[in-house]
Amino acid sequence: MATDFQRKKRRGLLIARSIAINAFLVFHIVAIPFWCLPISSALVLECREFVRPYFLWTGLFQSWDTFSPNPVSTNNYLEALIIYRDGSTGYWTFPRMQLLGPSERYYRERYRKFEENLLEAEHSGLWPDAARYVARFHSGDSVPPATVMLLVRWSNIIQRDDGTFERTAWDTHVFFSYTVTAEDLK
Amino acid sequence: MKVRSFVEAWNAFFFAEQSPVPIALFRVVFGMLVIATLLLLRPDWLSWYGAHAWVSLSTMQTLEKGARLNVFVVIPQSDAWIEAFFWVFLASAVLLTVGFLTRLNSLIVFLCLTSIDQRNLYITHGGDTFLRVAAFFLIFAAAGAALSLDRLIRIWRGKEGAKLRPCRPWAQRMIQFELSLVYFVAFCYKAEGLSWVQGTALYYVYNLDELRRFPLPSWFLHPMVLKLGSWSTLLLEFSLGVLIWVEDLRSVLLALGVLLHLFLEYSLNIPMFQWDILSAYILFVDAADLERLWNWIRVHAASHIGEPLQVIYDEASERNCRIVELLTALDIFHRLSFRKMRASGSGSQLLSPKTPEQILVSTPAGPKYGIDRVFALGKAVPLLWPLAVPAIFRRQ
Repeated sequence: MATDFQRKKRRGLLIARSIAINAFLVFHIVAIPFWCLPISSALVLECREFVRPYFLWTGLFQSWDTFSPNPVSTNNYLEALIIYRDGSTGYWTFPRMQLLGPSERYYRERYRKFEENLLEAEHSGLWPDAARYVARFHSGDSVPPATVMLLVRWSNIIQRDDGTFERTAWDTHVFFSYTVTAEDLK
Repeated sequence: MKVRSFVEAWNAFFFAEQSPVPIALFRVVFGMLVIATLLLLRPDWLSWYGAHAWVSLSTMQTLEKGARLNVFVVIPQSDAWIEAFFWVFLASAVLLTVGFLTRLNSLIVFLCLTSIDQRNLYITHGGDTFLRVAAFFLIFAAAGAALSLDRLIRIWRGKEGAKLRPCRPWAQRMIQFELSLVYFVAFCYKAEGLSWVQGTALYYVYNLDELRRFPLPSWFLHPMVLKLGSWSTLLLEFSLGVLIWVEDLRSVLLALGVLLHLFLEYSLNIPMFQWDILSAYILFVDAADLERLWNWIRVHAASHIGEPLQVIYDEASERNCRIVELLTALDIFHRLSFRKMRASGSGSQLLSPKTPEQILVSTPAGPKYGIDRVFALGKAVPLLWPLAVPAIFRRQ
């Protein structure tokens, strides 16, 4: 038989639990939309800053802006130009989805996503790591790599005045050059 | 008065008890999606997350500041440890799928999911984000209350009967809320873009060579069709974000959503994303509808599964009653019928003295005792088929 004290204690725990769950629900129902809706009012931005540490820590951060506000209008792919210590050169191409078979394209798609991020100037901090990784690929070559250049080949999709579309000729841009050290090849 | 009705509606929405089957089924599908994601990543576990990965852990921490739940920060940065991490992750996802130590494994799966995302945020897509957020709320859900080993263990221990106990769906509601928010936010972002409003957006999307998957008929790429497609996408994303909460519209919208995602799965190479999102549709299906669907499958599958059997047992034994409860829970195709020996006053001549365990299986070929009884059950009940495997070898 539960004593009066035990009954009161259990009831107290149930109330506390109910309050905690409701607080949890209210917080997330308000905070998640504040985090991800494209609203830039001062209040929303302030709320976003307030919840940022919690969202980053838990992994609740999110954005749902795929193909928006406008889809990208450029076809591109990345290559690495490798200059060896004897002056010879070679190319290394990131896996290109359109050249892969259906199954490989499916499980290698992360490379496309990685390239997409690599091309953004705000992610320039990734470039040395990417160049080092390419250099390590070639660490077993008879002549070690001295420089790795990351370059993008791109072609724009543009809308003509009559509403039809065309693709521009392929262009190339070297966006990063990295001098390989002996340490990088270990 | 208004506050009161709001509180009542809130309580009814989040706390009115309902069948745990939708959230349990979501758990099973969610677990399988995590397993599939890990297997697809398998060739590149070390390339993306290893000690010498494309992006080093220190670079990641420099670029993405702030305290984050990330197991990679605490485990030694050697390839062996990282491989071990993934095997533990995979094992936990399997255990979550079968519903063994569900709460613990949902926590481990969440920790691992968030860790791999935090370890390399530059390869994650919307599907990964959705899995991660859903995993967070799944920790709090009654995901092991049905379709789980945990439930079978509870039945065996006498803590639960074969009849499912209703649960409070507040955590399930948060995953539903997240899904509708995904669509609504996607709609809001797109509505800001001129190409979506003008209807040219899909032309660009389907001319991105690296994103295309399987070929589309040429008529689909006609500007007018793409224009209609762009606007339909906006309309459907808004509807799935907002109108999905209107019960009368839900079935139609879910069906349209399924068609949209299947089309995207066919035409665009965005691995797992469509399945990750579709998995949460289960949570919008009423448990009664799921039951109707299951009954339909059961009736149509019955003819392929073999003869139904009768289990005769002595109800005076507590152990027998628990076995029967367990079998009832496992017998999802209703292949068994149960007869109490004492209540019916029959069967006792079959039970004694050959069957000290006081439970037997009556088959068209006669009563089965001991190990033959296990094989007979194994053959009749699909979830027990593994038990029938030794019988095949014994015959050979």
